[in-house]
Amino acid sequence: MTSRSSQRMNPPAPRQWSSVEELFDDPAFQAWIDAEYPAAAEFAPTARRQFLKLMGASFALAGLTGCEKSPFVAALPYVNQPERDAIGEPRSYATAVLLDGYAQPVIATTYSGRPTKLDGNPEHPVTRGRSDAFMQAAVLGLYDPDRAQGPARHGEPVTWKDVGAAISLLRTTWGSDQGDGLRMLLGPTSSPTLLRQLDALRSQFPKMRIHLDAPAGTTARAALTTAAYGQALDLHYVLDACDVVVSFDDDVLGPGPDQVRNARGWAASRRRAADRPGIALYAVESVPSATGAVAGERLIADASRMARLAEAFASALDIAGAEAWDLTSTEQGWIESAAKACRAALERTLVTSSACGDPATAVWVARINDALKGAGHTLKATRPVMGPADAGTLAELAHDMRAGKVRSLIILDCNPAYAAPGVLGFADALKQVSSRLHIGLQRDETGELCEWQLALAHSLESWSDARAVDSTASILQPTITPFYDVRNVHQFMAMLLGEIDPAPDAAVRATWQSAFGNDFGARWRAALHDGFIEGAAPFVDATPSTTTNMPASNTSEGLDVVFRLDPTVWDGRFANIGWLQELPKPLTTLTWGNVVSVSPAFAKRMGISNGDHVEVEIDERKVVGPAWIMPGQADNTIALYLGYGRRRVGRVGDGLGYNAYSVQPADHPWIAKGRLRKVGGNETLAVTQLHHRMEGFDLVREVSADQPALPQPKPQESFYPSWPSSKNAWGMVIDLDSCIGCNACVAACTAENNVPVVGKDQVTVGREMHWLRIARYYSGEAETPRSFFQPVPCMHCEQAPCEMGCPVHATTHSPEGVNQMVYNRCIGTRTCSSYCPYKVRRFNFYDYRAAPEAPEQAAQNPDVTVRSRGVMEKCTYCTQRIEAAHAAADKENRALRDGEVVTACQAACPTKAIVFGDINDPDSEVSRLRRDGRHYALLEDLGTRPRTTYLARWRDNGGGQG
Amino acid sequence: MTDRSGDVLPTDQSIGGVSDQLTGIPLHFPAERRWLIAMLFASLLLLMFVISVIALFTRGVGIWGINIPVNWAFAIHNYVWWLGIGHAGTLISALLLLTQSEWRNSLNRFAETMTLFAVVCAGIYPVLHLGRPWYLYWMFPYPATMGVWPQFRSPLEWDIWAVLTYLTVSLAFWYTGLIPDLAAARDRATTRIWQIFFGITSLGWRGSAAHWLRWSQAYRLTAGLAVPLVVSVHSEVSLLFAAGQIPGWHSTIFPPYFVLGAAFSGFAVVSIIAISLRSWFGLNNLVTDEHLDLLGVVLLATGLMTAYGYIFEIFDTLYSSEPHELQTLSDRLTGAYAWTYWGAIFFNFIPLQALWWRSARRTGWSLMLISIFVALGMWLERYLILVTSLYRDFLVSSWSSFTPTFWDWSTYFGTIGLFLVPFLIAIRVIPLISIFETKELLHEEQETKHG
Repeated sequence: MTSRSSQRMNPPAPRQWSSVEELFDDPAFQAWIDAEYPAAAEFAPTARRQFLKLMGASFALAGLTGCEKSPFVAALPYVNQPERDAIGEPRSYATAVLLDGYAQPVIATTYSGRPTKLDGNPEHPVTRGRSDAFMQAAVLGLYDPDRAQGPARHGEPVTWKDVGAAISLLRTTWGSDQGDGLRMLLGPTSSPTLLRQLDALRSQFPKMRIHLDAPAGTTARAALTTAAYGQALDLHYVLDACDVVVSFDDDVLGPGPDQVRNARGWAASRRRAADRPGIALYAVESVPSATGAVAGERLIADASRMARLAEAFASALDIAGAEAWDLTSTEQGWIESAAKACRAALERTLVTSSACGDPATAVWVARINDALKGAGHTLKATRPVMGPADAGTLAELAHDMRAGKVRSLIILDCNPAYAAPGVLGFADALKQVSSRLHIGLQRDETGELCEWQLALAHSLESWSDARAVDSTASILQPTITPFYDVRNVHQFMAMLLGEIDPAPDAAVRATWQSAFGNDFGARWRAALHDGFIEGAAPFVDATPSTTTNMPASNTSEGLDVVFRLDPTVWDGRFANIGWLQELPKPLTTLTWGNVVSVSPAFAKRMGISNGDHVEVEIDERKVVGPAWIMPGQADNTIALYLGYGRRRVGRVGDGLGYNAYSVQPADHPWIAKGRLRKVGGNETLAVTQLHHRMEGFDLVREVSADQPALPQPKPQESFYPSWPSSKNAWGMVIDLDSCIGCNACVAACTAENNVPVVGKDQVTVGREMHWLRIARYYSGEAETPRSFFQPVPCMHCEQAPCEMGCPVHATTHSPEGVNQMVYNRCIGTRTCSSYCPYKVRRFNFYDYRAAPEAPEQAAQNPDVTVRSRGVMEKCTYCTQRIEAAHAAADKENRALRDGEVVTACQAACPTKAIVFGDINDPDSEVSRLRRDGRHYALLEDLGTRPRTTYLARWRDNGGGQG
Repeated sequence: MTDRSGDVLPTDQSIGGVSDQLTGIPLHFPAERRWLIAMLFASLLLLMFVISVIALFTRGVGIWGINIPVNWAFAIHNYVWWLGIGHAGTLISALLLLTQSEWRNSLNRFAETMTLFAVVCAGIYPVLHLGRPWYLYWMFPYPATMGVWPQFRSPLEWDIWAVLTYLTVSLAFWYTGLIPDLAAARDRATTRIWQIFFGITSLGWRGSAAHWLRWSQAYRLTAGLAVPLVVSVHSEVSLLFAAGQIPGWHSTIFPPYFVLGAAFSGFAVVSIIAISLRSWFGLNNLVTDEHLDLLGVVLLATGLMTAYGYIFEIFDTLYSSEPHELQTLSDRLTGAYAWTYWGAIFFNFIPLQALWWRSARRTGWSLMLISIFVALGMWLERYLILVTSLYRDFLVSSWSSFTPTFWDWSTYFGTIGLFLVPFLIAIRVIPLISIFETKELLHEEQETKHG
């Protein structure tokens, strides 16, 4: 076989097809189909087409057989490339997936040309190998069976040739008036190639306008920094340089493009000292978040009160012009305590405010950071990477459409018919546009309204580029040949620019050709190999203007209604990804839906209980959703979660939850004033944890600086003899102080271990299949609770109750101390689960496997058995990874090294809270942590001797409310 | 439960008359219409059972309401309940035979029959309950090519042996006891089919002294085997729970507690059947008020012993002060399923107190009502042991709940059909009260009178 690099140099003539029909006309393919699927040969041609459409994954495989010959092989393997392909041997590629236009740099593991698993790129300065739930689940988005599978016009399939012809016709009309009636709408993008192409398009049609649709708040962020600093900036938190962090309604550690970087920094600081928490976090928030959950001192305040609190805090730090007035004693106490900590830490302090908050808060926070000298040290600024810079807003576009100024609208990978604030009436306005063209992953709510409905390639099958949150650029290379009839975004842009049948990688190469100059070949290869291009944007000096007038806050009557992006389906774009729908949302453990979150006291006043339907009214627009009583939420604040209520996303995500965009105001989209009333009706919410209090059990333990060690347990007697241990004895330690409940581990486990998605009904009756759950507990009063996260995988007990329960030896003890599950021996008595004190076992009550023809099958890890109906399953400590490491070590005739086996959850964890290794090796990290004073075993008294153990959480000395 | 003075049977009846009366039931069935109605009802239940099992096997145990953590519920719960009912038959027949309490002689046949079919109902549940029932045979130690054996440490493995042994011995005991009566029926049969049927099944019994001697030895030996089995089987069933560490299960009181509870529920069902048959077939001369009185006394005694188990379960929990056990106790008394606990307490022990009065014991309807309450109460007790222990075990984050589905109920009511249909067939084709033993008792009583 030719090596990949030589193919890259001289791409052979591709065996490529431009449309499904063309492929079917290929006699070789037809012969193959007839041989593989004799039934298909008997169909009439039109019926056969339908049949092939349904074949899903088989079709995907058909695409893959052509893989070696397609130009996509120019993709460069990340790891040492094998001399020849071996079936079943994984290959890794460095590339990136996108979140809000930012690159999330990943290493994609592929088997036989199919990506099955994504992990953070270990070299990349943002991820350092860590990931978040969105990154983990992106691979399932690739295999989404409801993706747009080819271009269409008014729902009728067409070819890309037809599309090309239509575009060239349109170009003539645009050219006639310099693009006066032409508008383009897209999400914020950091792609240098796309920005270059957009500029090129604008130079061809100078009167065209570009508008940005940023449902996730990218434009709001720019507006805030403009208010605070007089210019749009990207702010970077350097949490690992902080001793004190004060956040004003800012979910610093919460989901989003920044999560991995912030979580890594937070955890590094937190672990800085051995005898106390290395960083103190003071959080004031209106709606509970991960940040508030781990904060040492958490203050609860309504969303509209943040500006006043920020000003009071500034006043406590003696900042000119700031006044403190009308504070409660709790607020006063929190501010004094936080100010004292800030004064002590000075430039090792960071004060943050929400990117979706009040401008006044942002202004005060900028001044505080400036005064504390944290700016430039703990807070850095760069020029924004998101573009295009001078784009119009969605509201302007809607206005122009209504005014009849828009004749052609090109919608690129965004979904305003769903995600535009309801007040804009975007879908209606869209009908005023005569030619409407949509290209996206799905033929979604917007695509449905467009004349041309084009299918976009997923980022894992595209050539593209993008910048990460730190502005480091990555080149996205395809990890798989597109198996639907799709074009990537740059091909589409090239078509708009007048090119005919552009190559998938031409535009990206052209961009970097100019950047790399003469050294293009080597630097291009290095960029593909490394997954990023060294060199982030330089930091700029950001001094807040002290003279600007303070922006006015909305002081009208009513409840504070805040809008939050959903922690699992985000702005709604991931709604059809089953892994994410079934991921329990942090703090609520809700799956498959969104809620109207209210405070316990408010709920009591209104007589609301969980699941009761409530109507939220903002500026006379109303939406009805189920209520959720959120302990620790501010009394006068209600939170609506975006991302649900989709109608046209696919069979997974359609018809779940309510659409909060419908009541979102256009001018201040993140906080509004509104009313709430209870309406009739109630629904059962699919939550995975029904009970929240620890009930006096010491499940999550705490230590404090006064008492930094837990009492050492007494040695336990056992009737059973200990198992003889082989050379390695696996164990896991989970640091509860670092866990931010972000779900990356759960998503990674799902992806790695082929954990099935069971759906809302099954979750509702308590049959979710996650091998690893993040238990969430509250202590204290419901109004002012403290929150705890505790990831609970299998404990791999040395004296496992499950093992003695099984009548057929289906769960056994390995010589390395792993409690094994032998799926094909299991007859499903469920005794093991009944006896399990930790209830970590999961049972296939039905056949939960994806249908054999489903494209999702391609995402499955070939190293992990797929479990049938009636079989118990559970965490295996990623036994396939242990065995692979053994095989690698055995080949080199050496012992396993510490850190050589990394479980999927451990690899994903952005805070490195999960450590796995050999407890027989006294020098391994896991052994070291097991000797830590904070080390304890869950339910130690039962004598099960778990191999998975915990490090107690630090209790900050302040203690916070409650 | 020793010999009682006084007569159980009225002595003013002839021995031949008893034979005619009892063999006449299968040969000239007296209550054809009522039997058919009962049979129709039972068959409908059986049909429901068959449909439920088909649904179960095609779709999986997900059709039930079980989940994680309550992954054992109706299947195991009804298994224990049915098995408990079965035990009374053995106790009445075998234990009272060994203690020579001859008042049993009117009750033992149908009590044994009841045992047999109750054990079948119980025994089918562990099969239905499996995730992959087609691999049931893996629980048996056959020489598999892979060299894998069942795991003998598992209470489930003990269970399968316990139940199979019990079923075998019960069957042998029942059949041995039946032989002389089958011969009597053979001798009175007038149609060819019945003659052949009883001829074969009576195994050539001629009633010679040697036959009686051997028979008596075999019968008593089997009885001697059966009695300890009652204790061992239900003790073993209790270990299904007690071997796990789950609060509410992990208790040393479980084996005797379960055995007594089983006897209690079993005697209740024996009373229900005795009273029904007696009124159905007009057997007041053979199943007398004296019998009901005795059953009532036994029911009261076993009921009080079960109550002792309840009290000591609570005492143990309080004495140990183990927080998780206390939590489970409080869940039982006040939690979401407190109705099962208080229901069990009420149905098992409150109406039972009426049995302190002789008139309540000797009145058919009152004993019947109390027995139905006890059967219901014991059903609730099994429910509470399963569900209230599992739904909230150690880690709060796994706490959940259990709601039975239609299929849970249909399978359960279906097994009542599975019990009734063969039972009704049995009373149609075999002498439902032991003829020779009744005659023997009658004879002895008459002898005493004359003597």
